[in-house]
Amino acid sequence: MPSGYSKAYKKYLVKYQIFIAFAIICILLSVLTPNFFSVQNMVIVLRQISINGILAVGVTFVIIAGGIDLSLGSVIALTGVVAALFSHPGDYPLIVPVSLAILMGILIGTVNGLTITKGKVAPFIVTLGMMTIARGLALVISNGRPVSNLSKSFNFIGGGNFMDIPVPIIIFAVVVILASIILNYTKTGRYIYAVGGNENAARASGINVNSVKLFTYVVCSGLAALAGIILASRITTGQPNAGVAYELDAIAAVVIGGASLSGGIGSIIGTVFGALIIGVINNGLDLLNITSYYQQIIKGVIIVGAVLIDRKKSK
Amino acid sequence: MRYLDKNSVLDSRHSKSGRSSFHKIKLSVLGIVVLSLWACHSGGKKEDAKSGIVIGVSMLSLQSEFIVNVKDAMVARAKELHVELNITDAQRTAEKQVQQIETFISQKVDAIILNPCEVEASSPAVDKARAAGIPIINVNSETKSEPDAFVGSNDEISGEIAMEYIAKSINYKGNIVIMDGYMGQAAQIKRATGAQKVLAKYPEIKVLAEQTAEWDRAKGMTLMENWIQSYGDKINAVFAHNDEMGLGALQALEQSKMKDKVVLVSIDAIADALQAVEDGRLNATIYQDAKGQGNGAVETAIALIKKEKLSSRQVLIPFQLVTKENINNFLKN
Repeated sequence: MPSGYSKAYKKYLVKYQIFIAFAIICILLSVLTPNFFSVQNMVIVLRQISINGILAVGVTFVIIAGGIDLSLGSVIALTGVVAALFSHPGDYPLIVPVSLAILMGILIGTVNGLTITKGKVAPFIVTLGMMTIARGLALVISNGRPVSNLSKSFNFIGGGNFMDIPVPIIIFAVVVILASIILNYTKTGRYIYAVGGNENAARASGINVNSVKLFTYVVCSGLAALAGIILASRITTGQPNAGVAYELDAIAAVVIGGASLSGGIGSIIGTVFGALIIGVINNGLDLLNITSYYQQIIKGVIIVGAVLIDRKKSK
Repeated sequence: MRYLDKNSVLDSRHSKSGRSSFHKIKLSVLGIVVLSLWACHSGGKKEDAKSGIVIGVSMLSLQSEFIVNVKDAMVARAKELHVELNITDAQRTAEKQVQQIETFISQKVDAIILNPCEVEASSPAVDKARAAGIPIINVNSETKSEPDAFVGSNDEISGEIAMEYIAKSINYKGNIVIMDGYMGQAAQIKRATGAQKVLAKYPEIKVLAEQTAEWDRAKGMTLMENWIQSYGDKINAVFAHNDEMGLGALQALEQSKMKDKVVLVSIDAIADALQAVEDGRLNATIYQDAKGQGNGAVETAIALIKKEKLSSRQVLIPFQLVTKENINNFLKN
């Protein structure tokens, strides 16, 4: 009985499902370990997920538009190294390394987007190529060594507090709010859903599909650059080998958050909860001192399990 | 329709009109590849090879700072001794490493320096070189097959030195946590074994938790934050299998204002760690002599080429404990 009412109700349920799953995991961990449920630990978890969260927000744009981006981990390393190279104490004001790194991210996103739209090469291939290109560039400009001795102001981005709240959490929150506004309340946002839902229909209705796709890749790499800056600042070095496989955690967060890899479906709030679930699992398994071998198995089961339940119920 | 859409993720060039532009791109990509190959080739230093000796080198990974340092030392020493090095990066893949050795054998290099990726899986590289009669020297880590010579340090000792220092610093009793390297790698296993040997002597030291942070600074920081949540003030000391993780732990400890009460020791003596020791933030690191290993490898290779008799097939480069007292000896390097 596919009446309008039950459809809306089901949509509602699907929306809350991710929250329920998150709540169940939290309750479980609170029972199992006394140190889990505290304000202090929640702040730690939020700070730990802010990098993956920012990445995942970018990936949400790309996945909703029907694409994929595998280059993000390398973009993080490259932009982190770029930022670090210009952040030695007394060198340049903070705005220089930050804008250079973001520009580098935007440039990579543009190259990805243009190769995919104008060059008509599959996103999987283009971003796979970019993954090794960006990693190589990071190694070249850093000579294969971590870039350290960074200024206090740079290190504040990842390690500082503003009104007792860690800066990465604040940046993450701002990113989430802006991204939600773009996706939910602007024409561009609606176009992104339209392109991912049915590319040909979107084209027929006059949407410039190529520029919409290009936009999503630029947003995604730009946010990866932001994440790269935060990571470099958090660990007080630009590491050319940082961020390996970070894109997979980000994609996992997006998919756990209810997005469909074939495009058209997904939401920022879902992605945030996806990132939160991955974050509390990492944190909780460490608190429980579960050996790393089992941690990997448990994480994989939870990722697939969460999506499985989601798909079953939303059918 | 749906099927087509899905397909387009993997292959979006199904239109014929895209053919010619695709062809152009293909050509230009080819051009770039050729150009960059040429650039890499002309970047090699053939002009240094005055002695005519060529040594093939296969390194574990040129993305790891320590290995890059060993490589740099080899390059510098080779330049001094006028031999040509042909350096390749196995990118942590034993299979690639074996292929690189096969290429060296077919190029008939005079000797091979191998920085093995894995104990078992890199062994065929050693067997093949020996079968071809080309001297092969393992540097830094071991293989199951025995090479003509080994130049490196015994990682077990580094674990022992680190744990011995921690034990002494906490008066042989208290609680410690241990951050392991990537599980199953030779360095992780040996450093853990060395630490375990020392711990067996001091029953009053309790290991609260032992977990891997995969040699990674960001992961080390996250793990330490989580441990501080779990154990808080109970932690008296931290042993990290490498400096990267140790420096991550250091940041987590400083953030929760616990560093003054906790002894922190890690291994490798990378530049950042030496700086942290000098600043009094990191209690100690263990110096593994990259320069000594690189120099030793090249010198041993030349000795074997010239058929000189080696005093031993094991050239062991010692580890050194670096603390604030002797930091000045290491900062100069």
